[in-house]
Amino acid sequence: MFSKLSRKLNLFALTWRLPIIIWQFVFFVGPVLFMVAMSFFLVKNYRMTEAFEFVNWSKMMNRGYFWDSYWYTVFIAAVSTVCAMCIAFPAAFALAFRASDSTRRWAIFLLIIPFFTSYLVRTFSWFVILSESGVVNAMLGSIGLGPFTMLNTNFGTLVGYMTLTLPLVVILQTVTMANIDKTLVEAARNLGCSAFRTIWQVIIPLSKTGLIIAAIFCFILSFGDFVAPFYLGGSQEPTLPILILDTTKSGQQWPRAAVVAIMMMLTLFAIAFIGIALAYRKPKGAK
Amino acid sequence: MNANRTLNVILGIYVALIFAFVFAPIIFSMIFSFNSQRFPTIPLGEFSTEWYAKILADPDVWEAALNSLIVSTCTALIATFLGFCTAYSDFRYNFRFKGPYLALILLPPTIPLIIMALAMLAWFSKIGMSGQLYSVIIAHSVLTAPFAMAVIRLRLNQMDPDLEAAAWNLGGSEWQTMRSVIIPFCKPAIASALFLTAAVSFDEFAVSWFVSGLNKTLPVIILEIVQGNIDPQVNAIGTFVFLISMTLVVLAQVFFASRQLKSIRS
Amino acid sequence: MSAPLVVFDKVEKQFGDFVAVKQLDFEIREGEFLAIMGPSGCGKTTTLRMLAGLDAPTVGEIRLGGRVMNDVAPHDRDTPLVWQSLALFPFLTARQNVEFGLKMRGVGAAERKERALKWLEKMGILEFADRDISTLSGGQKQRVALARSLVMEPQILLLDEPLSALDAHLVIRMQAVLTDLQRELGITFVYVTHSQSEAFAMADRVIIMGKGEIAQIGTPKDIYRAPANQFVAEFVGRNNILSGNVQALSNETARITTPSGNFTVPTNTVQLTQGAKASFVISADLVHISLGEPDGENKAQCKLISEEFVGSMVTLFLEDAHGQEFKVQMQERELSKFDLNSGDQIWLSWDTASAHVLDQS
Repeated sequence: MFSKLSRKLNLFALTWRLPIIIWQFVFFVGPVLFMVAMSFFLVKNYRMTEAFEFVNWSKMMNRGYFWDSYWYTVFIAAVSTVCAMCIAFPAAFALAFRASDSTRRWAIFLLIIPFFTSYLVRTFSWFVILSESGVVNAMLGSIGLGPFTMLNTNFGTLVGYMTLTLPLVVILQTVTMANIDKTLVEAARNLGCSAFRTIWQVIIPLSKTGLIIAAIFCFILSFGDFVAPFYLGGSQEPTLPILILDTTKSGQQWPRAAVVAIMMMLTLFAIAFIGIALAYRKPKGAK
Repeated sequence: MNANRTLNVILGIYVALIFAFVFAPIIFSMIFSFNSQRFPTIPLGEFSTEWYAKILADPDVWEAALNSLIVSTCTALIATFLGFCTAYSDFRYNFRFKGPYLALILLPPTIPLIIMALAMLAWFSKIGMSGQLYSVIIAHSVLTAPFAMAVIRLRLNQMDPDLEAAAWNLGGSEWQTMRSVIIPFCKPAIASALFLTAAVSFDEFAVSWFVSGLNKTLPVIILEIVQGNIDPQVNAIGTFVFLISMTLVVLAQVFFASRQLKSIRS
Repeated sequence: MSAPLVVFDKVEKQFGDFVAVKQLDFEIREGEFLAIMGPSGCGKTTTLRMLAGLDAPTVGEIRLGGRVMNDVAPHDRDTPLVWQSLALFPFLTARQNVEFGLKMRGVGAAERKERALKWLEKMGILEFADRDISTLSGGQKQRVALARSLVMEPQILLLDEPLSALDAHLVIRMQAVLTDLQRELGITFVYVTHSQSEAFAMADRVIIMGKGEIAQIGTPKDIYRAPANQFVAEFVGRNNILSGNVQALSNETARITTPSGNFTVPTNTVQLTQGAKASFVISADLVHISLGEPDGENKAQCKLISEEFVGSMVTLFLEDAHGQEFKVQMQERELSKFDLNSGDQIWLSWDTASAHVLDQS
């Protein structure tokens, strides 16, 4: 027994196990816990003092603008999730069931590229494209339509969210559906299931877990993004990330920003928890 | 069958439209970067390298480029080291609290960047490490280590589990075996992880913006220009950043693919 | 008899609640070819891994050359193992693979190369020395794996089902290579396998394991002719097993009553008591057949069910009126003297000395 123990917890094992523990405790757990603590600090004369007061919480929780912003952010992120899931589905379906393996691999590789391009530059590009005299309105104008106001609207915000989330959602949906046993789909068709019923009653239930995970990621990304609502939505109605930005960058109200951040994290945990519970819930009657 | 073919055509067009939407901003940004118009629209203005000349003449951009280079290089090294250690620990050992241990490295990417930015900013101020280039490096290492971990862990999965024991059996100590078996086996994944983490770090703006203070990186410069007004310089910098990121990603992919080829051959 | 090189002293190994092996008590002699055989999950690989130091015994002691090995790290032992998966280093050439152990032991580059090449030549794969491992065939990889272990010039070589991945015709060739090597080098081979033919063809002694325990240790002939118990008799496979009660006991023989009739068996070392249960076996190749009723005490009339040919050997599968199954193995040309068809009634008989009583425990 001794030999086994000594072999398990020696210098060698610790060399590989400890670095991430130390690093993440100091630079990840530390910051997050400090942020929680900070939400109870006081700000006097633009200086933060360490305290344990509920002032920031009661102030934020009692402000109408916080709750307006909160529900607006939940709403717009939910709309974004529904849009992304619906827009992506036909494309993912085509890539999973109608495309060859190599086409699918290439498509996924191409969809990874946007992750490594500056989201800021892409948003700015949309800003220019969608503007009053931009490319889209110029094209529409040439066939006698418009001009339409697209910037500083929810539509603008959603275009930004789609830019951020659509590639990921298409990838996750495609991978999920490509992993379905194709013989099941063929069997359903063979038994006289129409194409749409097959999608609804066979493909979606079989890929439920993957689809829900895609939706969760989409929601997290939209919920936490400040660039699209700021530049394309014009922050008419500020989302929670914009609220954090404003409170942090102007006025040094870090504790209040921390309150907003914690509320965001709690919301995301709840959404993720519900989503995962749904994703792994077994169908009725099954064991 | 005819209906089936029609459906295929329609789906094909649909996929093409999705790709058009995804790549439109990237492609337009590149086109605009060579366009003389200040407010680009259709029809396009003349071809011009004005914006590139402008950024090349701007010492702030040069400094930011250098900062970005330093940050992404250091981040890549630290994150890949951390990722390797964790991937190996996960591969080799079973221990109590392994779930929380893995959560420790895998959790950061699921938290919105703006929240990480705020938390990092506050913490670094508290411990007196804010506003430095190394603040950005540390923050980016936390954010990118999971990617390195995932890439290297996947590689270790492909390893014959007897390989390490075989090296011990032939007289290699654990350290010798690490150096002459595990690391050589993981080399392609390590290279892949280095490029991948560098690419992610090179593009990150939210956390950089919060914690970098006066040591701005390229994405922070872009953010500041965009905040002011429409300035096509952004497109020029963006194109430049895009090319660097793409080079890194393609290099990562090349190492990834070469090891797949090898595993197919054997 | 030569001195024991390895001693397993009441060794037991548990993984959590699971007992992998227990009561391992045996010796490995210097210079012998020992096979450890058993069905999968019987603990044979665990036994080998403990010898290599890759698993530590939970209870008991393992001694190698008199030294207690329990706490010796794997890399401080001189017990090279040939792996079932071969475990060749894919990023090294054949020669670098062979050099690996020498490099770990700090042998200089020139000597390493010389010794590696010598062994590659000995294994007949010198021309592939600088090839990538992935470009070699299964048989060539096998030889690289052998060379990689033997270049260490160990006292003992451990082999864990090394031939299981090879084609049948290569297995026969490699068996010859292994026995020749073992005889030439005079070192101890410990060979783990689930294949009876491999074990019996190569080993001086065989350990049969079942459910984590040793069922029998002996020469292939001992095990084949005189299986110690039912487990071994069934595992060896070429046996007819009959069970009944002891009806009469004499000095050297016993009369056993079974549903298929009464049979006389030598009592050998097994303690029998009047009226108690008893089982005995007769090797399939020691049973004679005849069309008419033969003389002698041990005979049974059976119906022929089927025949199976392997090379020039044929195995008959038969059944008597009481449902007892019999197997008979003989040369094909001997069988051709009879003109048999499925369903024919024939007589089986055997000499009393051919039967062997099993240990009931």
